Amino acid sequence: MSLTRPLVILLLLALLGFLALQRCAGERPQQLSRSRILMGTVVEISVHGADPGRLEAAVTDAFAEMARIERLMRPAGEGSDVARLTASAQGTEVAPETAAVIALGLQVGAESGGAFDMGLGRLKELWGIETESPRVPAPAEIRQALAGTGQGDLRLDSRRVEKAQPALAVDLGAIAKGYAVDRAVELLRRAGIESATVNAGGNIRLIGDHDGRPWRIAIQHPRDAAGQLALLELADVSVSTSGDYERFFEQDGVRYHHIFDPRTGYPAGRCRSVTVVTPSAALADALSTAAFVLGPEEGLALLRRFPATEGLIVAADGTPHVTPGLEARLTWR
Amino acid sequence: MTSSAVDPAELERIRRRIFLALFIALAVALHTLEALLPSPAPWFRLGFANILTLTALFLYGGRAAWSVTLARIAVGSLFLGTLFSPGFLLSLSGGVAAVALMTGARALAGPRLGPVGVSVLGAAGHAAGQVLIAWLLLIRHDGIWTLFPFLLLFSLGTGIANGVAADLLLELLRAHPAFAGQGAPPPGEGAA
Amino acid sequence: MALKAIWRRLTPLDRLVVLILLLGVGAAFVLVGQRPRGAQVVVEQGGRVVFTAPLRDDRTVGLPGPHGETVVAIRHGRACIAAASCPNKVCMGMGEVSRRGELIACVPNALVLHIEGDAGDEAKDYDLLSR
Repeated sequence: MSLTRPLVILLLLALLGFLALQRCAGERPQQLSRSRILMGTVVEISVHGADPGRLEAAVTDAFAEMARIERLMRPAGEGSDVARLTASAQGTEVAPETAAVIALGLQVGAESGGAFDMGLGRLKELWGIETESPRVPAPAEIRQALAGTGQGDLRLDSRRVEKAQPALAVDLGAIAKGYAVDRAVELLRRAGIESATVNAGGNIRLIGDHDGRPWRIAIQHPRDAAGQLALLELADVSVSTSGDYERFFEQDGVRYHHIFDPRTGYPAGRCRSVTVVTPSAALADALSTAAFVLGPEEGLALLRRFPATEGLIVAADGTPHVTPGLEARLTWR
Repeated sequence: MTSSAVDPAELERIRRRIFLALFIALAVALHTLEALLPSPAPWFRLGFANILTLTALFLYGGRAAWSVTLARIAVGSLFLGTLFSPGFLLSLSGGVAAVALMTGARALAGPRLGPVGVSVLGAAGHAAGQVLIAWLLLIRHDGIWTLFPFLLLFSLGTGIANGVAADLLLELLRAHPAFAGQGAPPPGEGAA
Repeated sequence: MALKAIWRRLTPLDRLVVLILLLGVGAAFVLVGQRPRGAQVVVEQGGRVVFTAPLRDDRTVGLPGPHGETVVAIRHGRACIAAASCPNKVCMGMGEVSRRGELIACVPNALVLHIEGDAGDEAKDYDLLSR
């Protein structure tokens, strides 16, 4: 009798200890979404991971980096390389990031035969699409704004950019957002994040997948504001869409949108929307603009010249053109 | 018998304090033990510690019940390392709702309500308090309310079980001279 | 037997309280049943999404877990756990779900099945919109 009781107690304690060790302190996966207005659009970063403090810090850093890129590449303002470049007569040294963007832009420009041009600053200002009072300029004004643009308007030598004409105004609007997204993603990756999305007004880049299944990215229907054209299942890649429905104004029953054909100075009319899928967001951004200008056949041909690049082009008549590699991931709506 | 130098009322007060401390210790032990058991979902707790709250309520009154519960939650979460975590918040809100309901019901109904009835109300209050706070502060997702009917049903069951256990305990304790004359007399033996 | 002994420990008021609460539970079930119908079944295991499917199409799928296989069945716009290897089968007892936010869980297999989306408005079954 005197021995059994301590034995029973010991046994119960052992059982308790065993049960206690059964508790696992696993961290539940978390999702954190933060939005900020940057580069004239709403930028949303969503990260998935285990430690909320770490996630929060990573997102804050990513936004800070995007703000830094914005400051560097906006058309005007303190600290802007682009503003300095525009103001200079021959050219100037730029930050490595700006040089990288210009290098990529020149490559897309060359491959697209001039459909992508970073010298359209004056043209954009002339049309005033981004302002409260856009207008249709006279042909002479357009010709003047286009002077000095075209292939060869900018030359890059290491970190020095040279302008062919002093009056040339540089505009990186069709590629800078994508680059900022790339930088943000790099930062998030370095912080150890393995599943996230960065969405800068439609310039999307994905890190990893969505908890074991691909991210579902819908493409805006170019004519139905509440509808989607198609659904893409993607992971670890960038998606960028350029459409004639994003920014436009109407005059005399004609719609004028914000994607200009550098060769004519007028809004490009061959497509309704272009979606490009490729690893780099900066490239996706630039290619979607270039392909939009080129039209369905030449646009797809352009995309084919870049590795791991797919696309979907909705022509002006509404017919869709898809690269073969994208078909498998596409679901029409 | 007590020695003549000690005031019986004073003795009673000391005795009461000691027993409440013991109740709290027992409640913490049960709370901790329960946390180690596997459970279907975070909020479906068996609530064994409530047996002690009920006992304190019926022997010593409302304030004692509050002391036992609040102390149990605080010390218990210190032991488990959950102080100020979401789990602690749920535990606290459930516990507060439960004790409020229990002491209120006891005050209103007096001897007509036995430990089982009070326990069941306490359990329901605990469930409601938890889900409400979880909805307001933690998971602002309406889906949480679909859990509520199941939770309520479950707590009904545990409420009855705990109530019966408390009733048994009270019966045992009241038979001992240390607790003689405490609290309300036992409820009528279910005169149906 | 034991139940009678328990019953005898309840005062008349106790019994009334239990009855009222039981009715309350019933009412809660009914109220919760008023929720809008969902569109998607999302099954998570250990915090990761392992399976999703629309409620629209009839489908049966077996999901492996630490305790064996759990069979999820979607029929007539409702999802339920048709078979499970867990010891208590609580998950199977949770019946069918079809409304937004409803949950079934098989804890030994670490499976949580919940209904998402709006049956009437299928727009948000994507993660992001590229425009």
